Amino acid sequence: MLALLEELADSASGRSEYADVRHVRSRAERVSTRNGRVEAAAHDEEEGIGVRVRVRGAWGFAAAAGSDRSAGEDALERALAAATAMPRGSAAQLAPEAPVRGRHVAPIGEDPFAVSLDDKLAVLLAAEAGLRGDPRVAVSSAHFLAFREERAFASTDGALLEQVTTDCGGGIAAVATGDGETQMRSYPASFRGDVAQAGYEHFRGLDLVGHSARVADEAVALLSAPRCPAARTTVVLDGGQVALQLHESVGHAVELDRVLGTETSYAGTSFLSPADLGSRRYGSTAMSVTADATTPGGLGSFGWDDEGVPAQAVPIVREGVLRGFLSSRESAGQVGLERSGGCMRAAGFARQPLVRMTNLHLEPGDAGTLEDLIAATDDGVYLETNRSWSIDDRRLHFQFATEVAWEIKGGRLGRMLRNPSYAGVSPEFWGGLDAVCSEPAWRLWGVINCGKGEPGQMMRVSHGTAPARFRDVQVGVA
Amino acid sequence: MAGAGGEVPLDVAVRALEAVPAGVDGAQVTASRERSLVQRFARSEPTQATSVDDLSISVCVVRDGRTGSSATNRLDAESLAACARSAAAAAEAAARSGAPAAFPGFAKAAAARAHHGYDLDTARLDPRVGGEALSTAFARAAALGAEAHGVWTAAEVQTAIASSSGLATVDRVTDALMKVTATAPDGRSGLATRAAVATRELDAAEIAHRAAEKATFPGVPVRLPPGEYPVVLEPPAVADLVDWLGRLAFSGLAYAEDRSALCGRLGTRVASPAINLSDSPRYRGTLPRAFDAEGVPKAPLPLIQDGVAHRVVHDTRSSALLGTTSTGHALAAGGAGLPPAPMNLVLVGGGAADELELCAGIERGLYVTRLWYTNPVRPRETLLTGVTRDGTFLIEDGRITRPLVDMRMTDSVLGILGRVQALGGRSVLVGDDHWYGRRFASGVVCPPLRAGAVRFTA
Repeated sequence: MLALLEELADSASGRSEYADVRHVRSRAERVSTRNGRVEAAAHDEEEGIGVRVRVRGAWGFAAAAGSDRSAGEDALERALAAATAMPRGSAAQLAPEAPVRGRHVAPIGEDPFAVSLDDKLAVLLAAEAGLRGDPRVAVSSAHFLAFREERAFASTDGALLEQVTTDCGGGIAAVATGDGETQMRSYPASFRGDVAQAGYEHFRGLDLVGHSARVADEAVALLSAPRCPAARTTVVLDGGQVALQLHESVGHAVELDRVLGTETSYAGTSFLSPADLGSRRYGSTAMSVTADATTPGGLGSFGWDDEGVPAQAVPIVREGVLRGFLSSRESAGQVGLERSGGCMRAAGFARQPLVRMTNLHLEPGDAGTLEDLIAATDDGVYLETNRSWSIDDRRLHFQFATEVAWEIKGGRLGRMLRNPSYAGVSPEFWGGLDAVCSEPAWRLWGVINCGKGEPGQMMRVSHGTAPARFRDVQVGVA
Repeated sequence: MAGAGGEVPLDVAVRALEAVPAGVDGAQVTASRERSLVQRFARSEPTQATSVDDLSISVCVVRDGRTGSSATNRLDAESLAACARSAAAAAEAAARSGAPAAFPGFAKAAAARAHHGYDLDTARLDPRVGGEALSTAFARAAALGAEAHGVWTAAEVQTAIASSSGLATVDRVTDALMKVTATAPDGRSGLATRAAVATRELDAAEIAHRAAEKATFPGVPVRLPPGEYPVVLEPPAVADLVDWLGRLAFSGLAYAEDRSALCGRLGTRVASPAINLSDSPRYRGTLPRAFDAEGVPKAPLPLIQDGVAHRVVHDTRSSALLGTTSTGHALAAGGAGLPPAPMNLVLVGGGAADELELCAGIERGLYVTRLWYTNPVRPRETLLTGVTRDGTFLIEDGRITRPLVDMRMTDSVLGILGRVQALGGRSVLVGDDHWYGRRFASGVVCPPLRAGAVRFTA
């Protein structure tokens, strides 16, 4: 495959300013059960060649199914035709990058595709049975997910790369209904659970069966819990909600293509500008954020991005001050960075790479465990497990809801509260961050549905977070 | 027309169906070929051009009332056979699991009606047509001192289904969309968009001009405090709300599982008497489709008439839960993982000439072009939250006077539809511009409307 890609890159080199060629083979397995029945048992695969060329500053990309020479040549010709038909594009130079040759295979334990479907269904059905003890549970569901991507890459700069990644995970959820009310609880995260760059051992380690009774009990209890009242108060977020908060109000805001306005029409822009680098206060001194494509187990970990730039750790925020952006070779070149941050990623073979999050982490603090943090909080609300999210196109004004909350009174958790929500403005909210739990409470949370681009691309990313406390937050907004 | 590598989708579907192992109770193969072109631009420069040509198959096998599925875009004989074996093995594992049966089997073959959803010129996917549209948009935006951002796209999708119940059918559709977000030097933005079956319906000059007019509307944006305000919603904002309503309230699965806002409310008034909503796959101006993902022919279905909720939509699996039949709204064969949803929603218009006439009845309120990042807060209440964007204005004494700082709406869709006072007479197709996964163009045909009160929370 590498030889073919190299030939295609050579063929493109005299007809474009730059070109790269990818072959991607993707596999996915999705198994789910719902209300005691098998909802889905699906295995998907696809492969193809994607060619990206730059002609007179305009990009053209074409994808063709298959892995043979004719598919590659067809894609190359269509990419050139697409680029040539565009008006003249940007004159910005790509940030320099020394071409690399190599192979990277992300380590995993047990191959999830080698485990029998019978075993997976047995786990899901057992976990789901544990959700259905109370007749008020109207919907019980359990999910298993596995993904593998084999990527080969060649560029006119001389890069020649191969890499293989495997992701695996799952989760459970219970929906309880009664008296016109509907409430949901999930484990370990909502929207089909938690996925990591790992083997079957990650799914097994989630112990879905062991958590099912608690999840169902909490869903039913929420039906009669008091509503979360409207107030400005102290908020403690669980690590999963911190992850989504980080994703939406920091991760997308520091994508340099958005900052430069090239995603205005769809994903939107950013409240940040290139001039903010090094001086803009993003949050309190407790806030340090890193984009790290080398984190073991992270869904955004790889050997090289889809421009052949090696994986790296990029400081984004240090002690509350903006220190970096997520960048590509083109966007880095446009703002004068020495090199790309290595954040160009494409979903499958039929999409061109975009600036995407890799693994974006909130660095751990020194607040101890979640229990320690609650104990150190006199009055407030503890919110857990994302239920809903929305943020404006500049990534400034947000509103989130979680599945459940508990009052915090005198350093202890009190009543369970239903329909919790909170809202804020990104830098003000992060400015209220005054405590992050310590390293042992820090873990990765997988996000498998990060959407961006036209045509749309879903990307898998991870966020390392620990529970954290934010002061003076408006809750009970919806 | 031959598919990728010279393949014809229906031929591939039939070959894959023949490769399904003996002993299963039923099988359906869907072969889908996407040829698409997406040309993007920002700051009046081209940014990306994506051309896709892909033919993939999906095999769904039934065994003892359980389904298994497998998909591939490798079309050689061994790959098709492996895909069929994989689907059969999954169905057999599901049957062995001891879980109760969930799928009653695929519907018998039935003829689908022809539609107007294919245009030969559009199917040529000439990138020069898009390139010229971009140049036109750049010039029109510049004429008003604005920059153009957006997308021009066209696609041809052929979908063939072959099944063990005797189905062998093909649907060919094309779709086209142009969207321009114009930005003014002060950072304000304006949106205009158009979707259709054919690229010739996309008037780049008119779209860019409307977008630029909004971005450069005179005045400094003013801020309104949170509260309830009367609003005029342009079709993109209306379509967003109605599309969510279709997924949340009219899903037969949500209804069967006691999660829908319509549980216990079918046959009752759920919206203003002015609201008439249907799923109409051959309505003029929509993006037609001959059959659903299970090969069930598409047919018009009234959802709300004169404000009264009438029906929810079903696929085979959700209909079995209620002992009824599919309404032709499957999004995946066997219902695996994707609930049924209406994909050709039509909201019938009213008597107002245009948006300006709708504004005439408002003393102080909001004019909203579109909503952004709308997501459900509490699905059973159809409670959504989202932010206004790309053209939000203050209405004073019946006319648009100044730009507004964008606001967050948090309100129930059914609640808003219950407060509708008037609808425009001219409906347009608002195309869904997400295109995640394989191309599946859809959209909502709707007019602008005026609602007496909408809740803004920030």
